[in-house]
Amino acid sequence: MIINKFILVLISLFIQLSISVYSQTDWVRWEKSDPTYQKKDTHLNRDFDLSIQSVSDVIVKPLINAYWFFVSDVDGANCPFHPSCSSFLVQSIKETNPFKGTLMFFDRFTRDTNVFGRLEHYPRYGTNHFYDPISLYTLDKEKIKIIPTNTFINE
Amino acid sequence: MSNKIFFLLVVILFPIYGQQIDIHSPKNIKKFADFLFCDKDYLRAIDEYKKYLQVVEDDTANYKIALGYSLINDQSNALQEFSSINNSSALYEQSRIEVLKSLSLSKSDSAFYLLANNLINSKSQFSNNAQRLLNTSILLNENELPDKNKFLIPFESDDKLLLGNYYDLKINPPYKSETVAGILSAIIPGSGKIYTEDYGDGITAFLLTGLFTYLAYTNFENDHQTRGWIFIALGAGFYTGNVYGSVASAQIFNAKVNFNFENGLKLFLEDKNYFTPAYDFCK
Amino acid sequence: MIFVNKKILVIILVAITNLHSQTLKDQFSYANELFNEGKYFDAITEFKRLQFFDSENQFSFQSNILIGKSYKAGAKFDDAIKYFTLAEISSRNDEEYFNSNILKARTNILRRTNHQAERILNELLVDTKFKSKENEIKYWLGWNLIFLDEWKKASKIFLENNLDTTLSNLCISVDDKMYSVNFAKYSSYVIPGFGQFYTGEYVSGLLSLSWNVFAGYLTVNSFIEDRVFDGIITANFLWMRFYSGNTQNAEKFALQKNLEISNKALNYLQFQFKGEKP
Repeated sequence: MIINKFILVLISLFIQLSISVYSQTDWVRWEKSDPTYQKKDTHLNRDFDLSIQSVSDVIVKPLINAYWFFVSDVDGANCPFHPSCSSFLVQSIKETNPFKGTLMFFDRFTRDTNVFGRLEHYPRYGTNHFYDPISLYTLDKEKIKIIPTNTFINE
Repeated sequence: MSNKIFFLLVVILFPIYGQQIDIHSPKNIKKFADFLFCDKDYLRAIDEYKKYLQVVEDDTANYKIALGYSLINDQSNALQEFSSINNSSALYEQSRIEVLKSLSLSKSDSAFYLLANNLINSKSQFSNNAQRLLNTSILLNENELPDKNKFLIPFESDDKLLLGNYYDLKINPPYKSETVAGILSAIIPGSGKIYTEDYGDGITAFLLTGLFTYLAYTNFENDHQTRGWIFIALGAGFYTGNVYGSVASAQIFNAKVNFNFENGLKLFLEDKNYFTPAYDFCK
Repeated sequence: MIFVNKKILVIILVAITNLHSQTLKDQFSYANELFNEGKYFDAITEFKRLQFFDSENQFSFQSNILIGKSYKAGAKFDDAIKYFTLAEISSRNDEEYFNSNILKARTNILRRTNHQAERILNELLVDTKFKSKENEIKYWLGWNLIFLDEWKKASKIFLENNLDTTLSNLCISVDDKMYSVNFAKYSSYVIPGFGQFYTGEYVSGLLSLSWNVFAGYLTVNSFIEDRVFDGIITANFLWMRFYSGNTQNAEKFALQKNLEISNKALNYLQFQFKGEKP
């Protein structure tokens, strides 16, 4: 009986301490909130887009969308990275130019083929992807933003 | 007679005790505020101190409000509150060094340097703290550094070694040359990436370029022209892609050097609490 | 004289204690009012003030429970659970112990730490002191199963002793609409594209089937024509790829469709269901 009470007091003290350590909840005033019961879909979905915004889009967009529709969406999620290699190609062409974009794509494909050391090299995205944005490879130093490898990104 | 004295005592003491029971009395509000502050519930503590200050003038409460804002990282409010502390107060000197910390955190460079130099030149009680914070900020933000020995003077001996290393890193950062990386990969595919310490990617690039070159060669040998040209194109793609990727890899390597440098210094500053004196409100 | 003085002293001491007690009662009413008005942040401040001055812990349980409820209303579930645990520790009787545990279980359900909720509710269920509260415990066990996506089991619990026929019917209808993920996946192992047809994704199913037939034809043809290396390459980079992609997609579509169905039901439960919610 005495031991039970003693244990309860210890638990109570531990909780009080952990509450004070975690008081960060109340460092900003908050109001009543009713978060949704619904669960999020963790599967990554394709961003099909046929809008023409530049000259290269006329060729690239139909080709890429056709590839996504007929091939990529049927052979499973094989790219360990986010954005996927084909999306990487589209984004890099959009951001730079077709020639530079193609070079970036070949380099990305090389990194895709190397199956070793990904955990130590790339931050994580979602449940089972690695984050590898084009901004690191445009040769524009201002755009490079280093994210530590043990970070989880959930956009 | 003794009865009368007794009743008199009761009549005098009762309201005093009554005030102690009133938990919304200024004294009790302050007690509760002190408890909240030490419990790290800073926003609530700030509200309570503000209520207390409506009735009583107390610069410790002013200081704690400002400190609370600083600790919850609301630097603009912290600066406003610190500025309300009178220069005749006992906490004035301490508040100046806290202002310096807030200015550093809110990245108000010009105001920071002005105040730092002010504190150093005024030979205040905390001028050494200010010098330490100033020197560390110079290491973080500026390109021109003073002489190393002069730079290390204000710091404690434990920190001199660490900061000396950071100083050397700043003067001589271990960058990789983008040109060298590109040229190496042009000569031997993948070697540029090995130079930038991307060993796995370097070897993979070498193997892929090699594989497609070999496939092109065997297909041409066996008179499969179309396939030969396809493999040549792919091989060339991987080759040039790798040269490009090696240059990018050098850039990323250098960006990581900068990131680790800044991060390390920021962690050091946080560990030292930006060289502000420890407060003893909660002992 | 001295005796009279002592009597008066006792009366005064009692009066002072009552005054203190009354002050705390007033503070409790004030904090409670703030809670009822939905001003949860301020309510917590006032309850904390009450606790600070309540040296005898008269209001320990009530204040901890209401602080926990305030955090729960603000969706600060970790803090809510901590305060419900403190309330459990400061509970003075079985009723209070039960209430604090039920609130802890409900918060765990909302936080989706469902196994903890299950553990708490099962412990209450086996406790003979709470035999009369069995229905209430089972009601929350049912909700916990809903959040665990086990609609059939939830329906069974709500059906026991007609606990809640609305919820039972809703759960069984959700379960009926759902696709079998295992059936989608394994049928696609046997016939590529079948799982996709089963989940209504006809285009994807057709594409999967076509690719698998085409790749299979190329592979077999290569082996027949004694081009073993070509056969291995085709099998590995073409056939295997589309075959595994096919089963991946079958599973993915089944999961996505099921998620849509369960989310619709959860949305109804959150905003239109009139009964008690976690």
